[in-house]
Amino acid sequence: MRGISATHDVTHLLAKWANGDERALEDLTPLVYKELRRLAASHLRKERKSHTLQPTALVHEAYLRLVGQKNPRWEDRSHFYGVAARLMRQILVEHARRQQALKRAGHRVSLEDALNFHQERSRDLVALDSALNALEKLDPRKCKAIELRYFGGLSMDEVAQALEVSAVTVRRDLRMAETWLHREMQSG
Amino acid sequence: MLLNSQRWAQIEELFHRVVECDPSQRTALLDEACKGDWELRQEVEALLSFEASAHDHVQGAVHSEIAGFGFSLAGEVVSHYRILSGLGGGGMGLVYLAEDIKLGRRVALKFLPDESIKDPSALARFEREARAASALEHPNICPIYEFGEHEGQPFLVMQLLEGKTLRELLEERRLNSSKSDSGEKSGHKAALPLDQVLDIAIQIADGLNAAHQKGIIHRDIKPANIFVTSQGQAKILDFGLAKLASGVTDAFEAAERNAQIANLKVTATSPSATPDPFLSRTGVAMGTAGYMSPEQARGEKLDASTDLFSFGLVLYEMATGQRAFTGDTGPVLYEAILKQPPTPARQVNRELPARLGQIINRAIQKEREARYQSIADLRGDLQKLKHKVEATRMRRRLAVAFAAAALVVGIMIFWFAKHQSMSSQALPDVKLTRLTDNAPENQVTAASISPNGKFLAYIDDQGMHLKTIGTDESRSLVLPETSTAVSWEMMTNAWFPDSERFLANAHPATQAPPQWSSTSTSAWIFSVRGDKPGKLRDNAQAWTVSPDGASIAFTTNAGSLGDREAWLIGPNGENARKLLEVGEGATTGAAFYFFPDGKRISYVADDGSGERGVTRDLNGGPETTFLTPSERKKIGDAMWLPDGRFLFSDPCDEGIQRADTPCNYWVERRDVRTGKVIEAPKRLTNWIGSSLAGPDGVTADGKRVAFLRTSGRTAGYIADLQAGGTRLVNSRRVTLEENGEDAVLDWTSDSRTLIVNRNRGDHYRLYRQELGSDRSEPIMASEPGGVENAVLSPDEKWVIVQIFPWGGGDNFLTMVKVMRVPMAGGTPEFLFSVHNGSSMSCARAPSKLCIVAEESADRKTMIVTAFDAVKGRGTELDRFDLRPDANSGENLDHSPLCSISPDGTRLAIARSSFSPIEIHSLRGQPTLIVPTKGSDRLDHIKWAADGKGLFVSRRTYDGEELLHLNLKGKAHSLWKSHTCFGIPSPDGRHIAIYDTQQSANVWMMENF
Repeated sequence: MRGISATHDVTHLLAKWANGDERALEDLTPLVYKELRRLAASHLRKERKSHTLQPTALVHEAYLRLVGQKNPRWEDRSHFYGVAARLMRQILVEHARRQQALKRAGHRVSLEDALNFHQERSRDLVALDSALNALEKLDPRKCKAIELRYFGGLSMDEVAQALEVSAVTVRRDLRMAETWLHREMQSG
Repeated sequence: MLLNSQRWAQIEELFHRVVECDPSQRTALLDEACKGDWELRQEVEALLSFEASAHDHVQGAVHSEIAGFGFSLAGEVVSHYRILSGLGGGGMGLVYLAEDIKLGRRVALKFLPDESIKDPSALARFEREARAASALEHPNICPIYEFGEHEGQPFLVMQLLEGKTLRELLEERRLNSSKSDSGEKSGHKAALPLDQVLDIAIQIADGLNAAHQKGIIHRDIKPANIFVTSQGQAKILDFGLAKLASGVTDAFEAAERNAQIANLKVTATSPSATPDPFLSRTGVAMGTAGYMSPEQARGEKLDASTDLFSFGLVLYEMATGQRAFTGDTGPVLYEAILKQPPTPARQVNRELPARLGQIINRAIQKEREARYQSIADLRGDLQKLKHKVEATRMRRRLAVAFAAAALVVGIMIFWFAKHQSMSSQALPDVKLTRLTDNAPENQVTAASISPNGKFLAYIDDQGMHLKTIGTDESRSLVLPETSTAVSWEMMTNAWFPDSERFLANAHPATQAPPQWSSTSTSAWIFSVRGDKPGKLRDNAQAWTVSPDGASIAFTTNAGSLGDREAWLIGPNGENARKLLEVGEGATTGAAFYFFPDGKRISYVADDGSGERGVTRDLNGGPETTFLTPSERKKIGDAMWLPDGRFLFSDPCDEGIQRADTPCNYWVERRDVRTGKVIEAPKRLTNWIGSSLAGPDGVTADGKRVAFLRTSGRTAGYIADLQAGGTRLVNSRRVTLEENGEDAVLDWTSDSRTLIVNRNRGDHYRLYRQELGSDRSEPIMASEPGGVENAVLSPDEKWVIVQIFPWGGGDNFLTMVKVMRVPMAGGTPEFLFSVHNGSSMSCARAPSKLCIVAEESADRKTMIVTAFDAVKGRGTELDRFDLRPDANSGENLDHSPLCSISPDGTRLAIARSSFSPIEIHSLRGQPTLIVPTKGSDRLDHIKWAADGKGLFVSRRTYDGEELLHLNLKGKAHSLWKSHTCFGIPSPDGRHIAIYDTQQSANVWMMENF
């Protein structure tokens, strides 16, 4: 029962948030958090042939579980994915900031290296986030492509569909965007 | 630079063009496109430099954050652990970095998979097993500190390790090799370096062996369960977990596993929604299935051999970079494990030593019976291979020709434990035969084999003998009457070419070998026919005979460094002519040898700057140095072979060596004229420990070499003291076991219980034994390493043990651990570390003082520090400048000489082995110097129980003497042997003596 109502809530909340209701995000976040955690934990537990946890697949899976395979309310798939990807980005960045805050909260002395390593990663995501903000101003479509691909878990073709451009264009957009972001993250 | 959309478009357009064009055209394209727009060019070039890594970087940032999501407990407090962050996850649960709030240390917290909760008895069994493995406290098993539960989910607390799992190491390797190979299948390039393979493998085998000996089987050995710390230490993780995760009783295992494997699919269509049946029921995911033994796959009852098999697969993977068994689906993999032999490791990686291929192959046999009997056997083979690999890689040795005068009487380091567990193993083709069988009391001191290979002439304490090689026949030669007692000596190439006569020198019996020179020495000729020996000359040392038998080389006219003149003379004393002469501070040296053409000689000279190996023509011409002083120091004894090869030993001729010191013969080919090496050295033997003197001659055909090999035996004795410790009676062995290196290291205050250590092989064991009984109780389980010293804390609750690392080297820089073990028995805990050779001692209650005497890093000062068995290091008590002759560089030739008096008020110290003993008060009393002879070498100091005297050991040229010394310097000899030292009982009635005896015998080497 709970699963069904959660699905319903998520769809509903996403729609609200997409329509500019910022409070919907507050309600959405814990639900997505929980699902992501469950999924990520189960992925971590599986020793796959390749240790690489595919983030895109994971995120995508999270949506599917949260909103169901076919959602009648979201006929505009590209819009839905755009919103969902943005949501995931916010949630991940929030998570990363919290990790960094944990460090600032005074564990620095006793924790040293191992923790530092994790915070290092979190810093990467926070840097990516601000680089994306800069990219958005410069070239909004590229920013969207990155969000859909990495935070939305869409395939190249799906990104192309969502952005209504050709797959070749998506590929070039991503290449340029990734390169620029990498450089921006490095210098920032 | 500020970007507007037009500029951005411009940059992007050019960026794509450049990226997409042929790399060789890039520069031209940029030149043309930028046309002096320097900023544009700079911008695009900057972007280009990031292009290759951009995708990974962006994806990585997102990826790692998502991965972090799996660790939902980060930031929470569980029991008394504050969870800090996720560390990783495996088939067996999530692992967190946590801080133990109580103990303030960092640990790893591992949550067990949900499935494990379903069967409480399995959980209990796992806990038992994990505790048992943990209780081994083996350095290669990751210890578990605690078991706990959080909201119904069991977790365990493990030692926090820094490093990577072997799986990660191997994957990195695969990734890098495939990158560098631009995607081509790169086979063995993903293999780990051979050194690392052997190093890790031996460690894993050590850990497994320890567990197997306690009946603990891992059942899930795989790269993900082996952690390699950043210091290179391998630790086996998750003992007992595989069984827990299986959650089924043995009876069901067969059917279950069969069914599961058959159903197993690698690519789960929906990784999370539908639980993987294999994972949930057995906890053994696909990764693990690849390391299963056939019997495991069949679901049979398992024994230690399953670990051996899985370990073999891990070894295979390390050595080849590939898994032995792969299969995309369960049934395929299952089939492979059960039936298909994997591609031989050496076919995958042709650089592997053949031996390693054999070892792996034997470990991964499908039938248990065909595998190694035990991990210990497998480990043994790995260790041998490692030695071999290391030895062949040893730095090129420059060698040469020398025959040391006689047995070099060694300076022996003070070690409680001398391991003589050397294997008498030669390399495959080399044949070794022992020619003499002398007891320790009658060591062979010199020998030489006749050119026809028929005779061995040798000297021992009983006289001079002639053995007919290949028979049991041996007869003593009649020695000439001399006016004073003499010690006989024989040089390496002492025989005449006719094999009927040989040379020998008579030295005054009052002199020790290092003092021998031509001054009071006479040279003699002995005959195998039983003719009376004839004196060749007085004041001469005879070395060798020319190939035509007409000339004998001897030296004479001793200066401060040795004989200054070399002469040739006929066998009947005719035709004497001077060959060489050097000044007062130099020597024409030793080890004369005629090359087979009879026109050139080799010898050792020293002009004061160190011994050099030289050759020169008999009729003049310059000396050619083929062995510089520094090269000379790197080898032991040496000799030329008739075919121009050069045979030499490692520099291990000084007394008994530690068991882990290589001590071998090598052969190389040199150009006789230039001395240059023309054929690289080849090692002939495979020995560690022991010591070598010689070679002692070679047959004319160059096929047989004789040499002297020394080995030792150690034993512990207890004796009663009388007359205030000045007389010793009624000595008896502590244990009667042959070769038991049992050493009494301390006594309880009631003088009734002994703390005894046994170093055996590469392990040690501490136990306590009642005086007058052979009942013993272990203080701790057998541990790898060796005990250098152990003392009882004044409260008698702890035994403090100084442990030297196995293979750590005989070197001051090696760090040695000081550990404490409860006297009642238990496991050792680390207290602090000290430089190798540091000495410690404790006072008796009511004093609480224990001290450790260490040398400063520059070895110029002895620092005495108090310590406590619980609190560890305390304050510095005193420091003493050492005499310059106390030591030499890194080489450890003694321990700091320091002992605390039983009442804890005084220190007895010596500033070098040749210095008088000083008694320093810790209460401000004046310092007292104990007057002693001072000519011998002080090796060991221990206070007598009454505080009125000392038991000291002094080295003499042929052994060691244990003395009681009162504080006025009056000495009484108690015991003599090769090495000995005493530990008196607190009641002053007994003394425990650690004693080593050395035996030296002649061996013959063939087929080298």
